[in-house]
Amino acid sequence: MIGTMNNELRRKIVDMVCRGRDGHIPSAFSILDIIAILYGDFLRFKSHDPLWDGRDYFILSKGHGCLALYVVLREHGFLTDHDIEHFCKEGGILGEHPDSTKVPGVEACTGSLGHGLPFAVGIALGLRIQNKDNRVCVLVGDGECHEGTIWEAAHVANNLELGNLCLFVDWNGSAAQLMPKDDVPAKWRAFGWDVQVINGHSETEIKKALQVVQFSARGTPHVIIAKTVKGKGVAMLEGHGLWHHRIPNEQEYQTIMEALK
Amino acid sequence: MKTMRQQFADTMLAIGQEDPKLSVLIGDISHFILQPFARACPGRFYNIGICEPTIISMAAGMAKTGLYPVVHTIAPFILERSFEQIKLDFCYQGLSGNIITVGSAFDYANLGCTHHCYDDFALMKSLPRTQVVYPASCSEFDLLFRETYRNDQVTLFRLPEHQHEVPIDPSLIKLGHAIRLAQGTDLTIIAAGPQLKNAMLARQQLEAQGKSVEIIYVPTIHPLDAPAIHQSVAKTKRVLVIEEHNVFGGVGDDVTRIVRDISYVKIINLGIKGFIRDYGTYEQLCVKAGLSLEGILAAVRQDFF
Repeated sequence: MIGTMNNELRRKIVDMVCRGRDGHIPSAFSILDIIAILYGDFLRFKSHDPLWDGRDYFILSKGHGCLALYVVLREHGFLTDHDIEHFCKEGGILGEHPDSTKVPGVEACTGSLGHGLPFAVGIALGLRIQNKDNRVCVLVGDGECHEGTIWEAAHVANNLELGNLCLFVDWNGSAAQLMPKDDVPAKWRAFGWDVQVINGHSETEIKKALQVVQFSARGTPHVIIAKTVKGKGVAMLEGHGLWHHRIPNEQEYQTIMEALK
Repeated sequence: MKTMRQQFADTMLAIGQEDPKLSVLIGDISHFILQPFARACPGRFYNIGICEPTIISMAAGMAKTGLYPVVHTIAPFILERSFEQIKLDFCYQGLSGNIITVGSAFDYANLGCTHHCYDDFALMKSLPRTQVVYPASCSEFDLLFRETYRNDQVTLFRLPEHQHEVPIDPSLIKLGHAIRLAQGTDLTIIAAGPQLKNAMLARQQLEAQGKSVEIIYVPTIHPLDAPAIHQSVAKTKRVLVIEEHNVFGGVGDDVTRIVRDISYVKIINLGIKGFIRDYGTYEQLCVKAGLSLEGILAAVRQDFF
């Protein structure tokens, strides 16, 4: 389950929100463990050369979870403390949605939902056209899967046999709040993808799922449906509602930090 | 006469054989005429089907990997439906690519307003780092595509169903350059696309009435050649713009801004106002919209002479 390192990253996220007076804490906590493992154990990159031709691509399609990406990019040297301290500040490069033209290591400007997956499909196809073996990972929210373009892209990726593409679905139940008849794994199987369902906060399961994925230029695209908890790690933040886009007050801040010790 | 769509296919084939980075995505049109490209450039042609927003996002992703993507399908679906994808996945991300449409304006005359698109200039012009090219002869498309497809812009090529059939010296066809096809002193007619044909016919009749008419043809809509237009209108003090585009956000609006400092200038903008709900031939719909020889002459009689 969540390790000490990720609790420290969670604390950094809370500090960024309190300092920047903006941000989506629970959405970031939901995906942090996945992103930390991707960058810690899986993706090939050079933080001093973010556009290195041999890099693997990671697209955060649910851009409002970007605080998780920012703190992980800081851990791996893409960003500086100065960048982190200027989240949502004038002159800073980090906003509430990631801007690939400003942020080293960010591959796509996301925020409007439903763009990242089709964009990643294009990257995967473009790499295959050029006989490159870079791997493409993308993360969408389950609420984001209400967008029609997710399913357009799912259909295309299967038909183009983009075996170099691996999708994470952050299955934290946001979608089911609104549309409860929603068998997420069945939908992806119906679209022809190779489906795994895991605990998205289990280091063991995330790593194992990535080991199982067989990346290939031509094959079945992969989806790892990660059961997650929005706000994972702090009981007060977990679930849906008030905390989606809220800044903690001093007392709440202390409670959160205590929970993340 | 070779169609614009055939020229598109021929140009893709010719460039595709020279440039391994040119890749074509289509939305289930022109599939058969692009087969020579598909055969000559294996792995670089995809008929993605009916999912235009995804096609645009994919093309942007391909550009991210260093390819020169070309997206081709029917204008309203790739521009209006997919506008946010063009705005965010190409323009906001600083990526480049080419969108080649057919079925703009009311070229699909009998298909009704679902298949019309009169606002493509306005949509594209509203975004940063974009170009709008409106070639109405085969050589214009070939030359302007070759000049621009690898640059750092997002370029719309609007291919009309009908051509203007006016001979143009190829050396004059350059991105961003208006072409003066006739000199005059009383009136400037600025024509876009196939309406150049009506502009030239109108000039003949007006000249016969003793009026001296200058013709400016604009195969590049954006960036529009402001100096050439300003120079002409400063001389004639009267300008008529004719275009198969909404009067809001079209060439006429740009010309109005370009000539605003010229004293006593008179301006007529002939374009499309609202939906064109009629059926019939392209020519019949042009007449309904006032985009015809008669339309030009009537407007000139009413407002100029």
